[in-house]
Amino acid sequence: MAVVVAAIYFPVLRRRLQKASNAQQQSEEQARRELTQALAMSPSEPRVRAKLFWASDADDGTLLPVTAELPLSSDPVLRSKQVLNTLLAGPVDPELRTLPPDAVLLAFYLLPDGTGIADFSEALATSIPSGIQSEQMAVDSIVKTLEANVPQVGRLKILIHGQEVETLAGHLDLTGTFTVNTKPVPAQPKPAPAVVAAPAQAPPDGKKLVETPAKLTPGTTPGKLAQPEHRP
Amino acid sequence: MVLDPAHGGTDSGARGTGGIRESEVVLEFATQVRRALELQGFQVVQTRQDNENPSFDDRSAKANAQRGAIFISLHVSSTGSPGTVRVYVNSELPTLANASGLIPWERAQAPFLGLSRKLGDQVQTLLAQSFKGSPGTAQAASIRQLRTTAAPAIAVEISSVSVDNRANLDRMAAGVAEAIARGATAFKPSYVVAVTGAGAAQ
Repeated sequence: MAVVVAAIYFPVLRRRLQKASNAQQQSEEQARRELTQALAMSPSEPRVRAKLFWASDADDGTLLPVTAELPLSSDPVLRSKQVLNTLLAGPVDPELRTLPPDAVLLAFYLLPDGTGIADFSEALATSIPSGIQSEQMAVDSIVKTLEANVPQVGRLKILIHGQEVETLAGHLDLTGTFTVNTKPVPAQPKPAPAVVAAPAQAPPDGKKLVETPAKLTPGTTPGKLAQPEHRP
Repeated sequence: MVLDPAHGGTDSGARGTGGIRESEVVLEFATQVRRALELQGFQVVQTRQDNENPSFDDRSAKANAQRGAIFISLHVSSTGSPGTVRVYVNSELPTLANASGLIPWERAQAPFLGLSRKLGDQVQTLLAQSFKGSPGTAQAASIRQLRTTAAPAIAVEISSVSVDNRANLDRMAAGVAEAIARGATAFKPSYVVAVTGAGAAQ
Protein backbone atom coordinates (compact mmCIF):
# COMPACT_ATOMS: atom_id res chain seq x y z
CA MET A 1 0.00 0.00 0.00
CA ALA A 2 2.82 2.35 0.93
CA VAL A 3 4.49 1.46 -2.35
CA VAL A 4 1.39 2.48 -4.28
CA VAL A 5 1.16 5.76 -2.44
CA ALA A 6 4.84 6.43 -3.04
CA ALA A 7 4.49 5.60 -6.71
CA ILE A 8 1.75 8.18 -7.04
CA TYR A 9 3.34 10.79 -4.80
CA PHE A 10 6.93 10.81 -6.07
CA PRO A 11 6.18 11.89 -9.65
CA VAL A 12 4.06 14.69 -8.22
CA LEU A 13 6.90 15.71 -5.93
CA ARG A 14 9.38 15.56 -8.78
CA ARG A 15 7.15 17.74 -10.92
CA ARG A 16 6.85 20.28 -8.14
CA LEU A 17 10.62 20.39 -7.64
CA GLN A 18 11.15 20.79 -11.34
CA LYS A 19 8.64 23.59 -11.52
CA ALA A 20 10.21 25.32 -8.54
CA SER A 21 13.66 25.17 -10.06
CA ASN A 22 12.32 26.37 -13.39
CA ALA A 23 10.52 29.19 -11.66
CA GLN A 24 13.70 30.19 -9.89
CA GLN A 25 15.67 30.11 -13.13
CA GLN A 26 13.02 32.10 -14.89
CA SER A 27 12.78 34.65 -12.16
CA GLU A 28 16.55 35.18 -12.23
CA GLU A 29 16.37 35.65 -15.95
CA GLN A 30 13.38 37.86 -15.52
CA ALA A 31 15.15 40.00 -12.93
CA ARG A 32 18.08 40.50 -15.26
CA ARG A 33 15.82 41.40 -18.13
CA GLU A 34 13.71 43.68 -16.03
CA LEU A 35 16.83 45.52 -14.99
CA THR A 36 17.83 46.25 -18.55
CA GLN A 37 14.28 46.94 -19.59
CA ALA A 38 13.22 49.04 -16.65
CA LEU A 39 14.93 52.16 -17.91
CA ALA A 40 13.33 51.80 -21.30
CA MET A 41 9.66 51.72 -20.24
CA SER A 42 7.92 55.05 -19.71
CA PRO A 43 4.99 54.50 -17.35
CA SER A 44 4.13 58.19 -17.55
CA GLU A 45 3.49 57.99 -21.29
CA PRO A 46 0.01 57.23 -22.54
CA ARG A 47 -0.55 53.66 -23.60
CA VAL A 48 -0.68 53.11 -27.33
CA ARG A 49 -1.52 50.10 -29.38
CA ALA A 50 1.77 48.49 -30.27
CA LYS A 51 2.27 45.59 -32.65
CA LEU A 52 4.76 42.86 -31.88
CA PHE A 53 5.65 40.22 -34.45
CA TRP A 54 6.14 36.70 -33.20
CA ALA A 55 5.81 33.30 -34.86
CA SER A 56 2.39 32.27 -36.02
CA ASP A 57 1.14 29.09 -34.38
CA ALA A 58 0.58 27.64 -37.84
CA ASP A 59 4.25 26.56 -37.61
CA ASP A 60 4.77 27.41 -41.24
CA GLY A 61 7.51 29.96 -40.83
CA THR A 62 5.21 32.96 -40.90
CA LEU A 63 4.94 35.78 -38.38
CA LEU A 64 1.78 36.96 -36.68
CA PRO A 65 1.37 40.44 -35.23
CA VAL A 66 0.14 40.63 -31.65
CA THR A 67 -1.34 43.91 -30.45
CA ALA A 68 -0.51 45.09 -26.95
CA GLU A 69 -1.16 48.33 -25.17
CA LEU A 70 2.16 49.73 -24.08
CA PRO A 71 3.24 53.10 -22.73
CA LEU A 72 5.66 53.97 -25.50
CA SER A 73 7.83 57.02 -25.64
CA SER A 74 7.39 59.43 -28.53
CA ASP A 75 11.17 59.57 -28.86
CA PRO A 76 12.03 57.13 -31.65
CA VAL A 77 15.18 55.80 -30.01
CA LEU A 78 13.48 55.05 -26.71
CA ARG A 79 10.47 53.72 -28.52
CA SER A 80 12.62 51.36 -30.58
CA LYS A 81 14.26 50.04 -27.43
CA GLN A 82 10.91 49.57 -25.76
CA VAL A 83 9.37 47.55 -28.57
CA LEU A 84 12.51 45.50 -29.13
CA ASN A 85 12.76 44.71 -25.44
CA THR A 86 9.14 43.65 -25.47
CA LEU A 87 9.88 41.47 -28.48
CA LEU A 88 12.80 39.93 -26.62
CA ALA A 89 10.62 39.31 -23.57
CA GLY A 90 8.61 37.02 -25.77
CA PRO A 91 4.98 36.07 -26.31
CA VAL A 92 2.75 34.30 -23.80
CA ASP A 93 3.48 31.01 -25.54
CA PRO A 94 7.27 30.57 -25.45
CA GLU A 95 7.10 28.22 -28.45
CA LEU A 96 6.25 31.23 -30.57
CA ARG A 97 9.42 33.13 -29.71
CA THR A 98 11.46 34.41 -32.60
CA LEU A 99 14.41 35.61 -30.52
CA PRO A 100 16.31 33.51 -27.94
CA PRO A 101 15.36 34.17 -24.30
CA ASP A 102 18.92 34.99 -23.27
CA ALA A 103 19.48 37.65 -25.92
CA VAL A 104 19.70 41.25 -24.76
CA LEU A 105 19.48 44.55 -26.65
CA LEU A 106 22.69 46.30 -25.70
CA ALA A 107 22.07 49.55 -27.52
CA PHE A 108 20.01 51.26 -30.18
CA TYR A 109 21.00 54.31 -32.19
CA LEU A 110 19.19 56.27 -34.86
CA LEU A 111 21.19 58.21 -37.42
CA PRO A 112 19.80 61.41 -38.93
CA ASP A 113 19.21 59.64 -42.26
CA GLY A 114 16.82 57.19 -40.61
CA THR A 115 19.28 54.32 -40.29
CA GLY A 116 18.71 52.47 -37.06
CA ILE A 117 21.46 50.42 -35.48
CA ALA A 118 20.47 47.65 -33.09
CA ASP A 119 23.29 46.13 -31.09
CA PHE A 120 22.44 42.77 -29.57
CA SER A 121 24.38 40.56 -27.20
CA GLU A 122 26.19 37.51 -28.57
CA ALA A 123 23.38 35.29 -27.39
CA LEU A 124 21.30 36.45 -30.32
CA ALA A 125 23.80 34.80 -32.65
CA THR A 126 24.78 31.78 -30.57
CA SER A 127 21.44 30.74 -29.08
CA ILE A 128 19.35 31.04 -32.20
CA PRO A 129 18.74 27.70 -33.94
CA SER A 130 20.91 27.70 -37.04
CA GLY A 131 19.00 27.64 -40.31
CA ILE A 132 17.67 29.97 -42.96
CA GLN A 133 14.10 29.82 -41.69
CA SER A 134 14.84 30.45 -38.02
CA GLU A 135 17.39 33.18 -38.72
CA GLN A 136 15.12 34.87 -41.21
CA MET A 137 12.17 34.82 -38.83
CA ALA A 138 14.34 36.37 -36.14
CA VAL A 139 15.43 39.26 -38.35
CA ASP A 140 11.99 39.66 -39.87
CA SER A 141 10.35 39.90 -36.46
CA ILE A 142 12.77 42.66 -35.48
CA VAL A 143 12.30 44.56 -38.74
CA LYS A 144 8.50 44.24 -38.83
CA THR A 145 8.16 45.22 -35.18
CA LEU A 146 10.16 48.39 -35.80
CA GLU A 147 8.24 49.11 -38.99
CA ALA A 148 4.92 48.85 -37.19
CA ASN A 149 5.85 51.04 -34.24
CA VAL A 150 8.67 53.43 -35.14
CA PRO A 151 8.02 55.31 -38.39
CA GLN A 152 11.32 57.19 -38.09
CA VAL A 153 13.38 54.09 -38.77
CA GLY A 154 14.01 53.73 -42.50
CA ARG A 155 16.47 50.85 -42.45
CA LEU A 156 18.16 48.73 -39.82
CA LYS A 157 21.68 47.51 -39.25
CA ILE A 158 22.10 44.67 -36.79
CA LEU A 159 25.32 44.39 -34.81
CA ILE A 160 26.38 41.61 -32.50
CA HIS A 161 28.18 42.90 -29.45
CA GLY A 162 29.16 46.09 -31.23
CA GLN A 163 30.56 44.28 -34.26
CA GLU A 164 29.37 43.82 -37.77
CA VAL A 165 29.13 40.08 -38.43
CA GLU A 166 28.85 38.25 -41.72
CA THR A 167 25.86 36.07 -40.79
CA LEU A 168 23.53 35.75 -37.85
CA ALA A 169 24.09 32.04 -37.27
CA GLY A 170 25.62 30.82 -40.51
CA HIS A 171 22.97 31.75 -43.06
CA LEU A 172 21.35 35.14 -42.84
CA ASP A 173 23.46 37.99 -44.21
CA LEU A 174 23.98 40.80 -41.69
CA THR A 175 26.49 42.79 -43.72
CA GLY A 176 23.89 45.11 -45.21
CA THR A 177 20.88 46.94 -43.87
CA PHE A 178 17.29 45.78 -43.81
CA THR A 179 14.56 48.06 -45.14
CA VAL A 180 12.13 48.99 -42.37
CA ASN A 181 10.00 51.90 -43.55
CA THR A 182 10.33 52.91 -47.20
CA LYS A 183 9.27 56.49 -46.38
CA PRO A 184 10.63 57.14 -42.90
CA VAL A 185 9.35 60.11 -40.96
CA PRO A 186 12.27 62.46 -40.30
CA ALA A 187 13.43 62.20 -36.70
CA GLN A 188 13.41 65.44 -34.70
CA PRO A 189 16.81 67.09 -34.93
CA LYS A 190 18.60 66.41 -31.65
CA PRO A 191 21.99 67.26 -30.22
CA ALA A 192 24.54 64.54 -30.96
CA PRO A 193 23.38 61.50 -29.00
CA ALA A 194 25.66 60.10 -26.35
CA VAL A 195 26.85 56.78 -27.69
CA VAL A 196 26.28 54.68 -24.62
CA ALA A 197 24.35 51.51 -23.94
CA ALA A 198 20.85 51.83 -22.50
CA PRO A 199 21.58 51.00 -18.85
CA ALA A 200 23.91 53.99 -18.54
CA GLN A 201 21.18 56.52 -19.30
CA ALA A 202 19.54 58.22 -16.33
CA PRO A 203 15.84 57.37 -15.96
CA PRO A 204 13.61 60.38 -16.62
CA ASP A 205 12.58 60.80 -12.99
CA GLY A 206 16.16 60.92 -11.79
CA LYS A 207 16.00 57.81 -9.59
CA LYS A 208 19.22 55.92 -9.19
CA LEU A 209 19.78 52.63 -10.95
CA VAL A 210 19.65 50.56 -7.78
CA GLU A 211 16.24 51.88 -6.81
CA THR A 212 14.60 50.93 -10.05
CA PRO A 213 14.00 47.23 -9.33
CA ALA A 214 11.72 48.23 -6.48
CA LYS A 215 9.27 49.61 -9.03
CA LEU A 216 9.02 46.27 -10.75
CA THR A 217 5.99 44.48 -9.46
CA PRO A 218 3.73 42.68 -11.94
CA GLY A 219 1.15 45.45 -11.76
CA THR A 220 3.59 48.15 -12.80
CA THR A 221 5.48 46.45 -15.59
CA PRO A 222 3.30 47.11 -18.56
CA GLY A 223 4.21 45.25 -21.65
CA LYS A 224 5.50 42.12 -19.95
CA LEU A 225 3.53 39.64 -21.92
CA ALA A 226 5.09 36.55 -20.38
CA GLN A 227 4.77 36.08 -16.62
CA PRO A 228 6.15 32.56 -16.27
CA GLU A 229 5.95 32.34 -12.51
CA HIS A 230 2.25 32.98 -12.55
CA ARG A 231 1.39 30.27 -14.98
CA PRO A 232 -0.43 27.29 -13.53
CA MET B 1 25.57 23.24 -62.38
CA VAL B 2 27.25 24.09 -59.12
CA LEU B 3 26.04 22.10 -56.14
CA ASP B 4 26.89 23.56 -52.75
CA PRO B 5 26.57 21.31 -49.67
CA ALA B 6 26.57 24.04 -47.04
CA HIS B 7 28.94 24.19 -44.07
CA GLY B 8 31.58 21.51 -43.45
CA GLY B 9 34.77 21.09 -41.45
CA THR B 10 34.49 22.73 -38.05
CA ASP B 11 31.20 24.31 -39.08
CA SER B 12 28.63 21.56 -38.69
CA GLY B 13 25.71 23.91 -39.28
CA ALA B 14 22.45 22.98 -37.61
CA ARG B 15 22.69 20.23 -35.02
CA GLY B 16 19.89 18.03 -33.74
CA THR B 17 19.81 16.58 -30.22
CA GLY B 18 20.10 13.13 -31.79
CA GLY B 19 23.53 14.06 -33.10
CA ILE B 20 22.38 14.75 -36.65
CA ARG B 21 24.60 17.35 -38.27
CA GLU B 22 23.59 19.54 -41.17
CA SER B 23 27.07 19.43 -42.75
CA GLU B 24 27.01 15.62 -42.96
CA VAL B 25 23.44 15.30 -44.13
CA VAL B 26 23.80 17.79 -46.97
CA LEU B 27 26.87 15.98 -48.25
CA GLU B 28 24.90 12.76 -48.43
CA PHE B 29 21.95 14.49 -50.06
CA ALA B 30 24.36 16.03 -52.57
CA THR B 31 25.31 12.58 -53.85
CA GLN B 32 21.73 11.85 -54.81
CA VAL B 33 21.07 15.32 -56.18
CA ARG B 34 24.20 15.10 -58.27
CA ARG B 35 23.16 11.76 -59.74
CA ALA B 36 19.69 13.05 -60.60
CA LEU B 37 21.15 16.15 -62.27
CA GLU B 38 23.67 14.15 -64.27
CA LEU B 39 20.87 11.91 -65.50
CA GLN B 40 19.23 15.05 -66.89
CA GLY B 41 22.41 15.93 -68.73
CA PHE B 42 23.84 18.53 -66.38
CA GLN B 43 27.55 18.73 -65.72
CA VAL B 44 27.85 18.99 -61.97
CA VAL B 45 30.61 20.62 -59.94
CA GLN B 46 30.47 20.50 -56.14
CA THR B 47 31.80 23.25 -53.90
CA ARG B 48 33.05 20.52 -51.59
CA GLN B 49 33.31 16.73 -51.76
CA ASP B 50 34.45 16.01 -48.23
CA ASN B 51 34.51 17.60 -44.86
CA GLU B 52 36.19 20.84 -45.94
CA ASN B 53 34.65 24.23 -45.35
CA PRO B 54 35.36 26.61 -48.23
CA SER B 55 34.46 30.24 -47.59
CA PHE B 56 31.27 31.80 -48.93
CA ASP B 57 33.31 33.60 -51.60
CA ASP B 58 35.17 30.46 -52.66
CA ARG B 59 31.88 28.65 -53.16
CA SER B 60 30.38 31.54 -55.15
CA ALA B 61 33.57 31.64 -57.20
CA LYS B 62 32.91 28.17 -58.55
CA ALA B 63 29.78 29.51 -60.23
CA ASN B 64 31.15 32.96 -61.01
CA ALA B 65 34.10 31.51 -62.89
CA GLN B 66 31.83 29.89 -65.45
CA ARG B 67 29.40 31.35 -67.91
CA GLY B 68 25.92 29.85 -67.80
CA ALA B 69 26.28 28.19 -64.41
CA ILE B 70 23.37 27.53 -62.05
CA PHE B 71 24.03 27.49 -58.31
CA ILE B 72 22.14 25.31 -55.83
CA SER B 73 22.99 25.41 -52.14
CA LEU B 74 21.79 22.57 -49.90
CA HIS B 75 20.83 23.12 -46.25
CA VAL B 76 19.08 21.31 -43.42
CA SER B 77 17.39 23.44 -40.80
CA SER B 78 16.92 23.18 -37.05
CA THR B 79 13.30 24.26 -37.34
CA GLY B 80 10.26 23.81 -39.54
CA SER B 81 7.77 20.99 -39.93
CA PRO B 82 9.76 17.80 -40.45
CA GLY B 83 9.25 16.51 -43.96
CA THR B 84 8.95 19.91 -45.61
CA VAL B 85 11.39 21.65 -47.92
CA ARG B 86 11.74 25.35 -48.66
CA VAL B 87 13.46 27.11 -51.52
CA TYR B 88 14.97 30.54 -50.96
CA VAL B 89 16.23 33.17 -53.37
CA ASN B 90 18.10 36.25 -52.27
CA SER B 91 16.20 39.37 -51.26
CA GLU B 92 16.30 42.47 -53.44
CA LEU B 93 19.67 44.15 -53.21
CA PRO B 94 19.66 47.94 -52.92
CA THR B 95 20.44 49.57 -56.26
CA LEU B 96 23.77 51.28 -56.69
CA ALA B 97 23.89 54.93 -57.64
CA ASN B 98 26.36 54.42 -60.53
CA ALA B 99 25.86 51.30 -62.62
CA SER B 100 29.10 51.08 -64.56
CA GLY B 101 28.47 47.73 -66.21
CA LEU B 102 30.84 45.92 -63.91
CA ILE B 103 29.12 43.94 -61.18
CA PRO B 104 30.79 44.32 -57.81
CA TRP B 105 31.45 40.95 -56.22
CA GLU B 106 29.61 42.05 -53.10
CA ARG B 107 26.31 42.18 -54.98
CA ALA B 108 27.01 39.74 -57.79
CA GLN B 109 23.56 38.19 -57.47
CA ALA B 110 21.71 41.44 -58.25
CA PRO B 111 21.28 41.04 -62.05
CA PHE B 112 20.25 37.40 -61.63
CA LEU B 113 17.44 37.82 -59.14
CA GLY B 114 14.71 37.48 -61.77
CA LEU B 115 16.19 34.23 -63.07
CA SER B 116 16.82 32.95 -59.56
CA ARG B 117 13.17 33.54 -58.75
CA LYS B 118 12.11 31.59 -61.86
CA LEU B 119 14.36 28.67 -60.95
CA GLY B 120 13.29 28.81 -57.33
CA ASP B 121 9.60 28.71 -58.14
CA GLN B 122 10.08 25.78 -60.54
CA VAL B 123 11.86 23.73 -57.90
CA GLN B 124 9.53 24.73 -55.06
CA THR B 125 6.43 23.75 -57.06
CA LEU B 126 7.86 20.26 -57.56
CA LEU B 127 8.94 20.00 -53.92
CA ALA B 128 5.45 20.94 -52.76
CA GLN B 129 4.08 17.95 -54.70
CA SER B 130 6.35 15.46 -52.96
CA PHE B 131 6.53 17.07 -49.53
CA LYS B 132 3.15 18.05 -48.16
CA GLY B 133 3.11 21.21 -46.15
CA SER B 134 5.92 22.81 -48.10
CA PRO B 135 5.26 26.27 -49.52
CA GLY B 136 4.10 26.60 -53.13
CA THR B 137 6.55 29.28 -54.22
CA ALA B 138 10.11 30.24 -53.35
CA GLN B 139 10.71 32.79 -50.57
CA ALA B 140 13.20 35.63 -50.40
CA ALA B 141 15.71 36.09 -47.61
CA SER B 142 19.08 37.82 -47.31
CA ILE B 143 21.28 34.80 -47.70
CA ARG B 144 24.99 35.40 -47.56
CA GLN B 145 25.90 32.54 -49.89
CA LEU B 146 23.58 33.75 -52.63
CA ARG B 147 24.52 37.43 -52.54
CA THR B 148 27.97 36.98 -54.04
CA THR B 149 26.89 34.44 -56.66
CA ALA B 150 26.73 35.72 -60.24
CA ALA B 151 24.34 33.07 -61.55
CA PRO B 152 20.73 31.99 -61.03
CA ALA B 153 21.07 30.80 -57.45
CA ILE B 154 18.80 29.16 -54.89
CA ALA B 155 19.14 27.68 -51.43
CA VAL B 156 17.14 24.54 -50.70
CA GLU B 157 16.49 24.01 -47.00
CA ILE B 158 15.18 20.67 -45.74
CA SER B 159 13.44 20.24 -42.39
CA SER B 160 15.01 19.17 -40.19
CA VAL B 161 17.89 17.95 -38.04
CA SER B 162 15.51 17.89 -35.11
CA VAL B 163 13.85 14.62 -36.13
CA ASP B 164 14.01 11.63 -33.79
CA ASN B 165 14.65 9.15 -36.56
CA ARG B 166 17.49 9.94 -38.94
CA ALA B 167 15.99 7.54 -41.49
CA ASN B 168 13.00 9.84 -41.98
CA LEU B 169 15.35 12.61 -43.00
CA ASP B 170 17.44 10.41 -45.29
CA ARG B 171 14.31 9.14 -46.96
CA MET B 172 13.65 12.65 -48.27
CA ALA B 173 16.80 12.68 -50.41
CA ALA B 174 15.27 10.96 -53.42
CA GLY B 175 12.33 13.37 -53.63
CA VAL B 176 14.56 16.40 -53.14
CA ALA B 177 16.98 15.20 -55.82
CA GLU B 178 14.19 14.62 -58.30
CA ALA B 179 12.54 17.98 -57.68
CA ILE B 180 15.83 19.84 -58.12
CA ALA B 181 16.76 17.94 -61.29
CA ARG B 182 13.35 18.36 -62.90
CA GLY B 183 13.09 21.97 -61.80
CA ALA B 184 16.50 22.83 -63.22
CA THR B 185 15.62 21.09 -66.48
CA ALA B 186 12.38 23.04 -66.77
CA PHE B 187 14.26 26.24 -66.01
CA LYS B 188 17.18 25.74 -68.42
CA PRO B 189 15.49 27.00 -71.62
CA SER B 190 14.71 30.41 -70.08
CA TYR B 191 18.29 30.80 -68.90
CA VAL B 192 20.03 29.85 -72.12
CA VAL B 193 17.89 32.31 -74.06
CA ALA B 194 18.65 35.12 -71.56
CA VAL B 195 22.41 34.57 -71.71
CA THR B 196 22.67 34.62 -75.48
CA GLY B 197 19.99 37.31 -76.00
CA ALA B 198 21.46 39.88 -73.59
CA GLY B 199 25.01 39.41 -74.81
CA ALA B 200 25.83 38.68 -71.19
CA ALA B 201 27.07 41.98 -69.81
CA GLN B 202 28.97 40.21 -67.04
